[in-house]
Amino acid sequence: MGTLILLALLKAFTVVVMLGLNIAGLLTWADRRQRAVIQDSIGPNRAVAFLPAHVVKALVGAPAVLVAGAVIALQLVAPPDAGGRTARAVVLSQLFILVGWLTLLGIGGAVRTRGVRSSFDAWVASAGDPRKFVYLGFAAHGVTALLGLSLRGTEIGRTLRDFGYGAGAFLLAGAVLGGAVYTIVHLRGDTVGLRVAGLLHPAADGLKSVFKEDFVPPNADKFLHGLAPMISLFPALVVMAVVPFGDTLCFGVGANDTLDLGRLAAYVPRDGVCSEGAVKLQALDLNVGILYFFALAGTGIVGAALAGWASNNKFSLLGGLRAASQMVSYEVTLGLTIVGCIMIYGTVRLDEMVRWQVEHGWGIFVQPFAFVLFLTAAIAESKRIPFDMPEGESEIVAGYYTEYSGMKFAMFFFAEYVAIVTASALVVVLFLGGWHVPFLDRAGLHVAVGGSVLFSQPLPHAVVILLGFLGFVLKVVGMCWVQLTIRWTLPRFRYDQLMQLGWRKLLPASLLNILVTALVVLALQQASGTVQSALRTLGDATHALVAALGLVGAIAFFRLLLSPARKRRFLETSAARYAASRGGTRSATMQA
Amino acid sequence: MEALDRDLEGSEVELPVEPMLINVGPSHPAMHGTVRVVMELSGESIARCDVQVGYLHRGFEKMCERGTWTQCYPYVDRCNYVSPMLNNVGFSLACEKLLGVEVPERCQWYRMALGELARISDHLTCDGAMAMELGAFTPFLWMMKCREMVWEILEEETGARLTHSFGRVGGMAKPPTADFKPHVTAAVEHILQVLGEVERLLYGNRIFLDRLENVGVIRTEDAISLGWTGPALRACGVPYDVRRAAPYLRYGEVEFEVPVGTRGDCLDRFLVRIEEIKQSARILAQCVRRMPDDGPVNVDDPRVVLPEKGDVYSTIEGTIRHFKIVMEGLKLPAGEVYSYTEGGNGEMGFYLVSDGSGTPWRVRIRPPCFYVTGGLEHLITGHMLADVVPCFGSLNMIGGECDR
Repeated sequence: MGTLILLALLKAFTVVVMLGLNIAGLLTWADRRQRAVIQDSIGPNRAVAFLPAHVVKALVGAPAVLVAGAVIALQLVAPPDAGGRTARAVVLSQLFILVGWLTLLGIGGAVRTRGVRSSFDAWVASAGDPRKFVYLGFAAHGVTALLGLSLRGTEIGRTLRDFGYGAGAFLLAGAVLGGAVYTIVHLRGDTVGLRVAGLLHPAADGLKSVFKEDFVPPNADKFLHGLAPMISLFPALVVMAVVPFGDTLCFGVGANDTLDLGRLAAYVPRDGVCSEGAVKLQALDLNVGILYFFALAGTGIVGAALAGWASNNKFSLLGGLRAASQMVSYEVTLGLTIVGCIMIYGTVRLDEMVRWQVEHGWGIFVQPFAFVLFLTAAIAESKRIPFDMPEGESEIVAGYYTEYSGMKFAMFFFAEYVAIVTASALVVVLFLGGWHVPFLDRAGLHVAVGGSVLFSQPLPHAVVILLGFLGFVLKVVGMCWVQLTIRWTLPRFRYDQLMQLGWRKLLPASLLNILVTALVVLALQQASGTVQSALRTLGDATHALVAALGLVGAIAFFRLLLSPARKRRFLETSAARYAASRGGTRSATMQA
Repeated sequence: MEALDRDLEGSEVELPVEPMLINVGPSHPAMHGTVRVVMELSGESIARCDVQVGYLHRGFEKMCERGTWTQCYPYVDRCNYVSPMLNNVGFSLACEKLLGVEVPERCQWYRMALGELARISDHLTCDGAMAMELGAFTPFLWMMKCREMVWEILEEETGARLTHSFGRVGGMAKPPTADFKPHVTAAVEHILQVLGEVERLLYGNRIFLDRLENVGVIRTEDAISLGWTGPALRACGVPYDVRRAAPYLRYGEVEFEVPVGTRGDCLDRFLVRIEEIKQSARILAQCVRRMPDDGPVNVDDPRVVLPEKGDVYSTIEGTIRHFKIVMEGLKLPAGEVYSYTEGGNGEMGFYLVSDGSGTPWRVRIRPPCFYVTGGLEHLITGHMLADVVPCFGSLNMIGGECDR
């Protein structure tokens, strides 16, 4: 049991600190990037951190050697039994293909920017557009998977499996090492600019703010002035604790209370409930569930109000008052929209809410109205445009954090971004099925609408849980993206309009929602069996709809990602021509 | 002090209610850096306010009196620094009116084209900044990108992006470049396209409309009595545009419409500016079509226009001419003149008094936004603090022009 406690602590730390804070950093980047995309300007993806070349060589080389060594060692030390060979062969070959096309893509891009240096470069360049490697890679993934499935059980299939199993590890190790060696060989100069899509920029911003002057206004209340940012950040972070980010993980319990990790690779039954060794993927399993969120979110208001009051600045005071009244008002709507969900789900525990959605269909289909209301109120809670009255940059300078600098300011800033993540996570759990991936249950893929089973493929327990977790993360990212897009598209309300929206529109609407939901729930309880089963089928249909939409969305997203950026020059001034002739880049402003 | 919280008046509650006195500006994000508004706030609404201008006063009018007429150009450049070309042209026209000369046709079209480009940049800046201050950052950057194109063209023509000092008495500093017409055509097409995108983003937006509609309303009579001109007056429904009311250059010959509003609120001022950009695009198309590709740009008058550089270095007449104009300045005949053109914000007037010595005796600039800003107090009293932003933004107060 000691291990379980340790695991629980690890979980809490990972979720609250790592996930919350890092996502806030990533979100800062994403926010700027999204701004750049919408506004057609240069984003943060060009920020570069310069590192000494030998450090970079070590950073590239060491992990590659470790990974390659680990793969080969696993193959030699722990060879699977006959049954596991197929799985091992599939995993190794797919990983090899993945690493292969990613490496080729990277090299292709590098060759295109810096020119051909070797015969290998020339070969890569001869392929033309590096995007071809992506298409080829996906094709290879598909072909390998199809071959594996269709040839299962035949003689050729066994030969292929043995080949994949025998040579796969070495191929994979070779691909990893090859890519690393190529990178190291082609490093030039004493320093190397590390770009990582500019992701280091927010990290540098965070680091910088630690070293900035911590200014406290002369007549401010020093204690409260320092306390306010902490009170703001703390609730935003700890709300993540009750959010379930995956299905219950089942470890077996072996002799002497040790955990049996082998169970992760096994298959569990569809409705299997772990008798022992169950680990909920949720930092805090509270029986008050969603109420905990409301209790803590209410605390965040205190931070903003205190900051406004303690700064001894009239603009701050206005901002603090705005923040307090706005957040209290929208908290009401936020709470009332949930009531409908609680009535339908019949629980306040977040993981059980997700289970209900897995069983019956996502919340967005049963409570579409509440979804919109909740999202609106959640954005208002995070104090971002169009609800950024408390900051109101052009009206009250910077609102309640006008007098903050350095890390204290950064804490408000972080609180805002963490609030976006927690709001998104809550929306996902309440309305978008949490970790649920359509047609994926504890046993594996199981496509069934109504009573008829269309397709069924059992998957190992660990894979199911991992897919669920990935699904959850993707949904959260998607919701964050929605919020960022809203932020860069809408202007802000006026204070009285905001209050009117909150009290005169959202609040009655959420009350109406409760009434209608109650009537429908009552009616359905009296309904006949036919209606019940029809509803069940309808629920499955919504899963199918989600699956189809998700597929279309994924394809559209990849198409967008792979489409080349088109720039058209239509004005060429003499200054631009001169700069171009000198090797400069005075072309940016005149492109569109 | 009387109780400002009107809701509390006459009730039983006796709280020590005091209005909050707050200084907005001169260094405040919405005040464009140069105005101070002292407000008495009752809650969030403005009970009383006092608009104080003058923080950007640099004594331009006085400084003009110590050089030659030509040396005034850098000063008038820095009046409305968002559309300096309009000031350049306006000042040139005033001097030429006193001198009694008229520039050749090519120059007239050229001045009109440059002026309309400047007007587009002015209106883009104003409307973009207004949207940005309401929190809509995206249209602002789109519009700034368009303005960048205008400035790129102006840089190509004049060599400077902002303070061109390109006008001259009796012509322009340089003839149009060979690329001028294709550049204008391409840029205007793109600007109109971006304008369409901005409209799609803003006009269907309930929040944006709610922030502007029926905010900062002024009655037509009040606007007239305050001396308002330009887009701010036209938004009240008065079709007064100097280009139409007293045509100068070739404005009498081009087709364009004078857009007017109906309510005189912030939204009308926003829309009038957007529409004027489109009208400017129309005028630009006609200028491009009708401007001759060759022919003189400057008047053929050796007392007014500097000689060719080649003549200055090779002939004695040229050298002397150059010396006289540069050292003594143009001799504008003694007398006084008031000349007015349509600037970015309205009637941009120049009242010049010359004693015939080559140095201005008095240069009085009538800045349109000084009068417009005079109405700000009227617009915002009784509104909420947040309404200051669109009201002030829609007046397009330019500190350099207002304070001079």
